[in-house]
Amino acid sequence: MKIIRTKAFKVFFNPIWESNPISGQILGICSALAVTVQLKTAIVMGLALTFVLACSNLSISLMRKVIPRNIRIIVELTIIATLVIFADQVLKAFLYDISKQLSVFVGLIITNCIILARAETYALGNPPLLSLLDGIGNGLGYSQILITVAVLRELFGAGKLFGFQVIPNAFYAAGYENMGFMVLAPGAFIAIGLIVWLQKTVSRK
Amino acid sequence: MSNHIKSILFAVVLSIVCGSLLTLASTGLREYQLRNIAFDKQKNILKSIGLIEDKKAPSLETVSGLYADHIKKMWIDFQGKLVPKEKKGENDLPVYLYVKQEKIQAYIIPVHSRGLWGKIAGYLAIANDGTTISGFTVYNHQETPGLGGEIEKRWFQKNFEDKKILDDNGNFVSITIAKGTVQGRIPTSRHKNFVDGISGASMTGKFLSAGLKRTLIEYEPLSERFRNNEIK
Repeated sequence: MKIIRTKAFKVFFNPIWESNPISGQILGICSALAVTVQLKTAIVMGLALTFVLACSNLSISLMRKVIPRNIRIIVELTIIATLVIFADQVLKAFLYDISKQLSVFVGLIITNCIILARAETYALGNPPLLSLLDGIGNGLGYSQILITVAVLRELFGAGKLFGFQVIPNAFYAAGYENMGFMVLAPGAFIAIGLIVWLQKTVSRK
Repeated sequence: MSNHIKSILFAVVLSIVCGSLLTLASTGLREYQLRNIAFDKQKNILKSIGLIEDKKAPSLETVSGLYADHIKKMWIDFQGKLVPKEKKGENDLPVYLYVKQEKIQAYIIPVHSRGLWGKIAGYLAIANDGTTISGFTVYNHQETPGLGGEIEKRWFQKNFEDKKILDDNGNFVSITIAKGTVQGRIPTSRHKNFVDGISGASMTGKFLSAGLKRTLIEYEPLSERFRNNEIK
C-alpha cells in the first residue's frame, strides 16, 4: 500500500490544501485578518494555534469515550481554554515583544472556530493518533494561509520581510510606493479572497 | 440520575486537573515573565527620553547598561522636593531622573490612566525646564487593536515631543489629545498644548487626556521647582 493512500496521510494533508480551514471552510478569518500585517507575528500565531489544536484534538480524542455527551461542549472549551492560557503564558515568558504585538489574539484562539470544529467533528469520533494528525494538519493549513497573506501584506505594504527591507531603495527612487492599503484589514480580505479563488480554481480539476 | 452525577463528577475532576496545570504553568513561568516586564519598563523609560530608538530591538545588556548609567529613581514629597528611597514617606510619588554629565536633563513620571477597556500605563518625560514634553510611551494597555491600541504606536507618541504643558501666559493647562487632528480644530496659539487624536478612538483619547492631566497635577509641585530652576 502506497503511503499516499493511507488514511493517516489523507487526514494530515487534506486540511493543508484541499479542505483548508481558511480557504476551504472559511473558518478563523478574524485572526487571519488581524495578525498578518507582519510575517513574524503570523508565524508565531500559526505555531500557537497548531500547538493548541494538536493538543486539544489529542486530549479530547483520548477522553472521547468518557466525556458525558450532555456537557461535551463545556468540556471541550475548558480543555481549549486551558491550552490557550498555557500558550499565552509561555509566549509572555519567552517571546514578550511578539506576545505584546499579538495582544488579545492569542487569547482569542479560544474562540477560533477551527478548534471547536475539529474537536466536535473529528476528535470526538476518531482515535488519538489520527486526531493528532488532523490537528497538526489543520494547524499547518491555517499557518500556511496566514504566512502567505503576511508575506503579501508585509512585502507590498511595507516593502519588508521579517522587518528587513526587501524592496531595494532604487525602486523607491524610481517612483515605487508602498501600498498603504495592504497594511489595513481590507488588504487582508482581498489577499484571502484571491487565495480562495486560486484554491477553488486549482482543486476543481 | 446516575448520568447527572457522572457529568458533575467529570466536570469537577476536569476543573481540578486544568486548574492545577494552569497554576503550575503560571507559577513556573512567573520569574521569566517578571524579568520581561522589568526589562520592558526600563526600555520604555529609556525610550521616553529618546535614548533608544524604536526601530531596533536593543539587547538586555544595552538597556540595563544605559539604565544604570543615566536613570535615577527618586521620590517626591508633597512640596515637590526630591527625596531618596530611604527617606521616602508614605504618600510620596516616584519619579525617574535622566542624568547626563551630572545634570538632570529630564524627569520621567509614570502615568496610570483609565482607558476604554482597562488601565493604560506609560511614561511621560518632561525636560528640565519643567514645561516641554520630551517624550511619551505606553507599555501596557487593553485598548482595541487598530483603534485605541494605536496609542502604543510611534506615530502617536511622537506627537507629544516638544509640546508644552503651559499655555502662552504660563498657566498650567496639561496636554490634551484632540478629537481628530489639531490642525484646523484648535486655535493656533494653543497648538502646543494639543496632540493629534486617533480616529475611531475618541474615548481612549478622552480617558488618556484626563489621566495625563491628573498625573501632571500631582507632579506640578516638582514641575514648578524645575521651572524656577530650584533643581539642577
